[in-house]
Amino acid sequence: MKKIVGLVLTASLTLGLAGCGGGSNDSNSSSASGDSAGKSGDTRTIKFAALETAYGADVWKQVAASFEKLNPDVKVDLTIDKKIEDVIGPSMKSGEFPDIVHLAVGQPKGLTETFIKDNNLTDLTDVLSMTVPGESATVKEKLIPGFTDTTITNPYGDGKTYLMPTFYSPCGLFYNADLFAQKGWGVPKTWDEMWALGDKAKAEGIALFSYPTTGYFDAFFYALLNEVGGPEFFTKVMNYTEGIWQTPEANQALDLVVKLASYTEKTVPANGNKDNFTKNQQLILDNKALFMPNGTWVVGEMSKAPRAEGFKWGFTALPAITEGGDQYSYTFFEQMWIPAKAQNADLAKQFIAYLYSDEAASIFAQAGAVQPIKEMSSKLDGDNKLFYSIYDHGAKAAMGAFATTDPVEGVSISDAVFGTVDSLVTGAKTKEQWVEAITKASDALRPALKK
Amino acid sequence: MKHTKGRGRFIFFCLSPAIALFVIFLIIPTIDVFRMSLYKWGGYTDDKTFVGMQNFSKLFQSDKFYQAMQNSILLIVIVSIITFAFALLFASMLTREKLIGQNFYRVVFYIPNILSVVVISAIFSAIYDPNNGLLNAFLNLFQGAGSEPILWLGDQKIVIFSLAGAMIWQAIGYYMVMYMASMANIPESLYESADLEGASRTQQFFTITIPLIWTNIRTTLTFFIISTINMSFLFVTAMTGGGPDGATEVILNYMYKEAYTNSSYGYGMAIGVVVFLFSFALAAVLNAVTKREHLEF
Repeated sequence: MKKIVGLVLTASLTLGLAGCGGGSNDSNSSSASGDSAGKSGDTRTIKFAALETAYGADVWKQVAASFEKLNPDVKVDLTIDKKIEDVIGPSMKSGEFPDIVHLAVGQPKGLTETFIKDNNLTDLTDVLSMTVPGESATVKEKLIPGFTDTTITNPYGDGKTYLMPTFYSPCGLFYNADLFAQKGWGVPKTWDEMWALGDKAKAEGIALFSYPTTGYFDAFFYALLNEVGGPEFFTKVMNYTEGIWQTPEANQALDLVVKLASYTEKTVPANGNKDNFTKNQQLILDNKALFMPNGTWVVGEMSKAPRAEGFKWGFTALPAITEGGDQYSYTFFEQMWIPAKAQNADLAKQFIAYLYSDEAASIFAQAGAVQPIKEMSSKLDGDNKLFYSIYDHGAKAAMGAFATTDPVEGVSISDAVFGTVDSLVTGAKTKEQWVEAITKASDALRPALKK
Repeated sequence: MKHTKGRGRFIFFCLSPAIALFVIFLIIPTIDVFRMSLYKWGGYTDDKTFVGMQNFSKLFQSDKFYQAMQNSILLIVIVSIITFAFALLFASMLTREKLIGQNFYRVVFYIPNILSVVVISAIFSAIYDPNNGLLNAFLNLFQGAGSEPILWLGDQKIVIFSLAGAMIWQAIGYYMVMYMASMANIPESLYESADLEGASRTQQFFTITIPLIWTNIRTTLTFFIISTINMSFLFVTAMTGGGPDGATEVILNYMYKEAYTNSSYGYGMAIGVVVFLFSFALAAVLNAVTKREHLEF
């Protein structure tokens, strides 16, 4: 018996060893064949990383597939995630970079800003003069003018484009058009009309204003600054010009926001964080507040939320300062960029150029993502047609953001300007404290401006 | 002679893997944090500038740093004291008293510890909701439905305490189980003789239970400090994001914001160094003041 057991054990051991040997042989041969295939076919891979937004991840898969069809020897390796910074961050720290990153400035983690501040981007100016693959026009010819002249796309003010504009969205005030029709209220054209409406609504137990989080004040503020002082004043503010926050124009803008804070639904600051902000948006759907600053993505974001009967999205630019004055709507757009250390920058540029083709644009448009391509807005339907035609109805477009600086430790201009709005609503801070905080941050950032 | 040499070598070889791991994964990263705090660095480039103690001098002039530090210390104090009191009380009730469904309570108290912080935050966000929240609805029973809602997460004076409430709820079970484990070791005879001599339940608790689990209590005090610093970051991130307007910004939150959002990795590491030294110092002080003669049963 013992002998038999011994024999079986020995046999199984031998077999096991042979199996291992065979396995290693197999893997050797397969890796060798893999190598040869790589050389003969010369397939190149672009590593593309994108933040998954309201438009979803599928749209990228479709676009990548159609690009691969056009370029059979290129493979697009997609990494799409809602927390893309956390996914690609660690490998980037160890020196391995994606070829393209689709991530806008203004995200909470500020990854894009970090790359800008570190001069860690590839110059994309030549992409503008590239011909869109499969078409005859160049990228520049297809783009709506102005989008590549902003402080966001050309962060160093040297006329060179480092970030390419992708999806854009007009930002303004959203409201329930049906409620306005029911009550016979007109959409205010000036701030004075706005306050009058606020008092009327208050009598009916409806607040004038709500905001998702204070972060949404960026678009609001940029448009407001354009209204009070025009584009030139706006540019000065964005470049931290000395004493700019003490000018009458700035004072007027701040006063308006302070007054607006007093008309804001009281529970808004309690839900003004990234987990509960939809409750603040819900106030509009439930007819508990009239206006909120937002972008066109809100329609998709709230598509499954319950709403008042007959609810219909309405969208307007900010009211003008005076009768007949300019009304502004901020244009939010996302960007993509190539890290300076990307392996396949040339191929990545091809892919970027392709994203502006009609073929790609129509795939994006199906998901509700609209690119700044000429005549794109006329091809839209439904709510999007209303939103994107805002500039056809007299509103002026505001673009840009606070200028990029070298990192200044402990100073955040957006915390100072936008974050404080919560405290204005709760009454924890006064206008004077606000101005002081902004001035301090602005003064600290001025010497660090990128030259 | 030869024998001891061989033994020394044996011990060396047995210990070296552990020591190597300890050095690689603990000592070197810690030293690295200290080293990085002396540089100005964005985090993703090779472009590091040595700036000496500049990060620290900026840190000690920053209002935001003091605000975050204040919030952290407040949380450490409140959460530690209240959790400590409740955990001790519940532990002694569950070990000393004859309650129906003891095991059930033990499990129920421990459940929050198994839940992820994100889930707990979602639960408490619902409880604290100003309009439909459990807490305000409950208060309305006494005040009438028309009264102004309390903004548990919106009022800058209250919000930090709301956060502490969630943290305490989460922590009690863990410490309770720890105290119960050491209370179970106390010989029953001590309580019997105390009973015979006429000591009340309260007297027994303070003169028998507490002195005999004192070593355990001292250990948990250090845990309180470390876990409150860490957990407050998770709770703030999941519940308020530091808002409204920085009212719940805690120190690790501030560090994260500076290191990543504000592209000041070196400055972030300087905050890390301060947190490291602070928690070490606090633990050492607590250890020193709670030193008692070791009692054995």
